[in-house]
Amino acid sequence: MTKRLMITLVSTLVLLCLCGMCTIGAGEIRIAVCAPITGNYSQYGLSFKNGTQLMAKLVNEAGGINGARIKMEIYDDKNEQKEGVNIAQRLVSDRGVAAVIGHFASGVCLATAPVFQRAGLVLISPTSSHPDFTKQGTYMFRNNVKEDVEGPCSAEFMIKQLKKKNIAIIYVNNDWGVTARDYFMEGVKKFGGKIVASEMFIDGQTKDFSPILTKINAAKAEIIYLAAMYTDSGMIAQQLNRLGYKIDLFGNSSIYNDMLIQLAGKAVEGTYLVASYFDEDPTPVVRNFIANYKKEYGVVPDQYAALAYDTAGLVVEALKICGPDRAKLRDALAGIKDYPGVTGNTTFDENRDAQKGVIILQIQNGKFVFHSRV
Amino acid sequence: MLLQQIVNGLTIGTMYSLCAVGYSMVFGILEFVNFAHGSIYTVGAFITLTLVSSGRIGFGVSFLLSMIATGLLGVAIDRFAYYPIRSKRAPKMNLLIGSIGMSIFLQNLAMLIWGSQTRNYPEVLRLGSTRLLGVTISHYQVVIFLLTAFLIVALQTFIKKTKTGKAMRATAQNVDATKLMGVNVNLIVQIVFFIGSALACVAGTLVGMYYQAADPWMGFMPGLKAFTAAVLGGIGVFEGAMVGGLIIGIVETLAAAYIHAGYRDGIAFAVLIIVLLVRPTGLWGKALSRKV
Repeated sequence: MTKRLMITLVSTLVLLCLCGMCTIGAGEIRIAVCAPITGNYSQYGLSFKNGTQLMAKLVNEAGGINGARIKMEIYDDKNEQKEGVNIAQRLVSDRGVAAVIGHFASGVCLATAPVFQRAGLVLISPTSSHPDFTKQGTYMFRNNVKEDVEGPCSAEFMIKQLKKKNIAIIYVNNDWGVTARDYFMEGVKKFGGKIVASEMFIDGQTKDFSPILTKINAAKAEIIYLAAMYTDSGMIAQQLNRLGYKIDLFGNSSIYNDMLIQLAGKAVEGTYLVASYFDEDPTPVVRNFIANYKKEYGVVPDQYAALAYDTAGLVVEALKICGPDRAKLRDALAGIKDYPGVTGNTTFDENRDAQKGVIILQIQNGKFVFHSRV
Repeated sequence: MLLQQIVNGLTIGTMYSLCAVGYSMVFGILEFVNFAHGSIYTVGAFITLTLVSSGRIGFGVSFLLSMIATGLLGVAIDRFAYYPIRSKRAPKMNLLIGSIGMSIFLQNLAMLIWGSQTRNYPEVLRLGSTRLLGVTISHYQVVIFLLTAFLIVALQTFIKKTKTGKAMRATAQNVDATKLMGVNVNLIVQIVFFIGSALACVAGTLVGMYYQAADPWMGFMPGLKAFTAAVLGGIGVFEGAMVGGLIIGIVETLAAAYIHAGYRDGIAFAVLIIVLLVRPTGLWGKALSRKV
């Protein structure tokens, strides 16, 4: 009985493997996109999906890569480590996958990195900003500006341009938030500012920020640096407003989303923030991208969609050079210089971290406006 | 700063109280903890949000309709999820597990209907704020206090003075004896679910308006905290739930302000443990150990 069962199992497995191989069409290159499609972070996952699929559509309409069509396959990692690792294990054994774009959160990237590294499959994250991510191995890439650039730039702007001395921080208590706080604090120290309060909150649980805001006000802070997502930042701004404290806000690039203004309205008026992409940028690449995106999805792309679009573009660029070979693709990607993306000209440094400039925006009359370039 | 923090704490404390009363009432009668209560709070907040943003009816009417709708949802949950378990005389543990399942179901239902994004709660009441002794009190906070106080007094009167209230108290004391007296116990249970859910809807709506945001997870933590509040005050006891809510609200706010923001939830739960160690029946709990 067990023997028969074994035979059935094995033959089913073999059949399944064969079927799997059949689906790899001759003229198709498959790229996996891992993003939180459901759950608390699904809005970011949607931007990943839209951005990468738009790039695939444009490439395919222009004739594909040397005649081969591109297919972006979306996998839902729910922004959870264990889901991410499950998907990673599935992807590395699927030889038809040329590269993986993904993971929204640094925490998930850090969990899956060893799996992809062992198998020699490129993982390129459009959003991970934790410095340790690309240190996990030579197949790990990042296509956004890290906190070690953003934090000090923000500190310099606050102290030198806005002339603020007493600075408070509110950060989300996760891997990313703590890193963002540390780099920002380093920057503040370097440019001669003073941290008067550093307060944390718990992601998805803290809705009431009044105790920490009251504490920050008592510490006589002139400006608050927010290392938080836009949903939380919107609540912080509203509660600050309701408490009647006059303290300026300065946000990490993570708060750059129109939803912030929809959620918090007048309360975020005057808030400064860092960004690597701005949707009113007059550069032709950006205008083109926004027009295409609007035509396809009916909304203006946010920075996550822009970063995902550029990430897909970088992978396409590398595929053009070498074709869908996992190892060669890594080398081609690492060698890319000055890729003209919508988030700036992108070059990978020796640690496979993207290098591009940052801009400072301000919210004025319910809109993000360009303030200056740092 | 201390006074301000106490005002901050009182505001969220009143929300916990409203929820805790719902927990306590259901426990008082059925002797089981309805863990779906937090999710009912979320659904209530979203129903109000949908009605208000439809723009056809005013806020007051929307709020009232939403309370009724959420109340009926509570009744439906009891009828289709808990009643079948109860009528088979299954152990209380099964009901508890059932309510956890119901909580997950409602949370995901809310996510399916309203999406997982944080939604903006329209600012229906444009109210200012007053500065008093260096403390900023927004008028909205005053509205929260007054509305909660009114509801609690009204409910208290209902339970103490009306015949239905008497039947509720009787059911809480002894289900079988109440049945023998000719009381329709199932109807009483449904009334309790209706009132409890409607109060959860009030809390959800008030919180949504206070933070001007609503998301499908908004009920999870308040649900746990309200449960803590109910147990702290002595579960099944009306006044206990009220005071328990206020204590939890103030304690966690002070903990966040003076100890560490990361420990606020931990400290709120630690207070519960300490109180239970000293008084296992909670602050107001009767010595009757059968219920605990």
